Amino acid sequence: MIAGLVRQALRKHPWTFVGPACTQALAATIVTASLGLRASMSAANVSSPENGLDVVAPLFVMISVYLSLIIVGVTMGSAISRQARDIALARTIGAGPGQVRRAIALQAAVVALPSTAAGYLLGGLVGRLWVDGLVTNGVAPESVTFHGQPAALPIALAVTLPTSLLGAMIAAIRLSRIRPAAAMSDTAAPRRGAGIVRTIAGLLFAAGGVFAASRVATLDAEEAGAAAFIIMLAMCAAAGLLGPILLRAGAPLARVFGRTGAIAAGTMAVRARSLSGALVPLALATSFAAVKVAMHTTVAHVTGVDEARDVLWLDYSGTAVYTAFATVAALATLVTVTMSRRREFATVRLAGATRAHALRIVACEAIVVIVTSLVVAAAAAATLLVPLLHASLGVAMPHLPAGAVISGVFGVVAVVGLGTVLPAAFLLRRPPLEAVSVDA
Amino acid sequence: MNVAVELNEVSRRYTRRGTLALNSVSLAVPAGTFVAVMGRTGSGKSTLLQCAAGLDRPTSGTVRLAGQNITRMRERALTRLRRERIGFVFQSYNLLSELTVGQNVRLPGQLGAPRTRGVDDVLEAVGLAGLGRRPVGELSGGQRQRVALARALITSPAVIFADEPTGALDPTTGAQVLRLLRDAVDRDGVTVVMVTHDPVAAAWSDRLVLLRDGTVAADDPTPDAAAVAQRLAGVAA
Repeated sequence: MIAGLVRQALRKHPWTFVGPACTQALAATIVTASLGLRASMSAANVSSPENGLDVVAPLFVMISVYLSLIIVGVTMGSAISRQARDIALARTIGAGPGQVRRAIALQAAVVALPSTAAGYLLGGLVGRLWVDGLVTNGVAPESVTFHGQPAALPIALAVTLPTSLLGAMIAAIRLSRIRPAAAMSDTAAPRRGAGIVRTIAGLLFAAGGVFAASRVATLDAEEAGAAAFIIMLAMCAAAGLLGPILLRAGAPLARVFGRTGAIAAGTMAVRARSLSGALVPLALATSFAAVKVAMHTTVAHVTGVDEARDVLWLDYSGTAVYTAFATVAALATLVTVTMSRRREFATVRLAGATRAHALRIVACEAIVVIVTSLVVAAAAAATLLVPLLHASLGVAMPHLPAGAVISGVFGVVAVVGLGTVLPAAFLLRRPPLEAVSVDA
Repeated sequence: MNVAVELNEVSRRYTRRGTLALNSVSLAVPAGTFVAVMGRTGSGKSTLLQCAAGLDRPTSGTVRLAGQNITRMRERALTRLRRERIGFVFQSYNLLSELTVGQNVRLPGQLGAPRTRGVDDVLEAVGLAGLGRRPVGELSGGQRQRVALARALITSPAVIFADEPTGALDPTTGAQVLRLLRDAVDRDGVTVVMVTHDPVAAAWSDRLVLLRDGTVAADDPTPDAAAVAQRLAGVAA
């Protein structure tokens, strides 16, 4: 039976597991590559505390642990909540909450094992390229050659398996308590309201972030760095909690695009909650990268001195790791949300919309998500940057080169486009009648 | 007389200040009878079925099912009771769509219910002999309902609850499913409680319960389909 529920879930909603699987593969890649770097350094008998390469492996492993915990938790949770009806049916015919939990735990393990193995293989390759790049750029001495770390596979599993299980079990708590009668009702209406507690918590996080940022000027450099990170997290927690409200506020923007836009504005209001799962990682990555880049570029702009290349390299590679995780999380959320709209697209098509029409609706929604993410990211970054730069350099405005801004915007556009328009185009290739059949 | 399902002054209110979906309903279904529950949308049919089957808990009143008082039964015991003594057939969402016919029928046994009949035996009883390895996705609507019925029958349940079992079927295939429910009552002594909109479906039952605004408006032996339709029109007015 447990195997039956797992088989049902993996076959019926395969795309919902893309998020956890990619996140785990990425975590395994980073763990393997950074442990490989460490092994390579010690094999060459090199210690280089001055350029900070010694701390890379533990730092990146730690980043992988906590980002996997958050992102696998969220994506696994949304994968499992798609199974509400199947679980309700199983509960009706006599599956106990414990059996449902075991089936969910098994899914988490089944997804984690192959994706970790794939990440381990990819990590060997990435590690090799990375070490080569370090040597070429003069960050590591030429005597360093790549050495794999065999212990990386068990260590990667120790990162991915527990985080996957934990994420799944948190989602399982709510679902194993699902009312069996839910299997009988035809469709489960999505919850719409934002929730007063959620809104207040979001406002408190935002206010806390703004207040803390205004006090950053009074701290010394090291404390300011640590505080900056916490402020960013607070702002992003605020964005996450207020996400549905922010997206609903952004929805009328779609009306600019005429009648199609008006439809999109309506559907956005309904989808705001599920789409806000993509808003957070997008805003997090964009604002984080903006802060990192703007700190360096503004210093260089004001003082006219470029920072050391290896310091920059280390800082940016850390940011790249965050951004990679955030990209995976945002893409997974968007693909999952879009793929679950098969019936809705079919209904729109049967009501007389052409394929192009339906795609335009999705594109309008994508534009709202892009603009909202960028506005939130810019606000979060500015909240931190303005007081920080004012304190350290005495300038009011951060300096961000046009190239960096354009590539940031382009990145968000690419992620949102890939996560929404592409899967929608794929869904719309199927005849609409197929999708509205009873058991779909 | 052995009573299979007994509701005593059962009320159900979904929100604290909302209206009563069920208002002090009392009903006793003797073992081995086929009861049809009718009433217009919102009359409390589904709530009645869910409370009687232990899928939902009444706000007040008591429910006895297969000889046990389930009103305050713990979830674990209630789950076991559903698994071992109760069968379900719904309007449409009955099966795990990615599994085969046989895998679906075996589910209760794999969950821990005693398997009193063989898979081939129940599949043959519902007219699907030899289709055990067929993916559910390839079946017609009528065949799917018969798979759901086979899954319900495999544990030799005391009671089968059916919620609009023919709602998504054409009259001919609907009649096949009703014939099978009727056979389960007559041949195996199963008790069937069926919610339906369709007077023709209700005409297969022994007893007709009409609900209006959460109360029992009529509870009599079932007449023929035309008379059922007439009575239904009477309470709906």
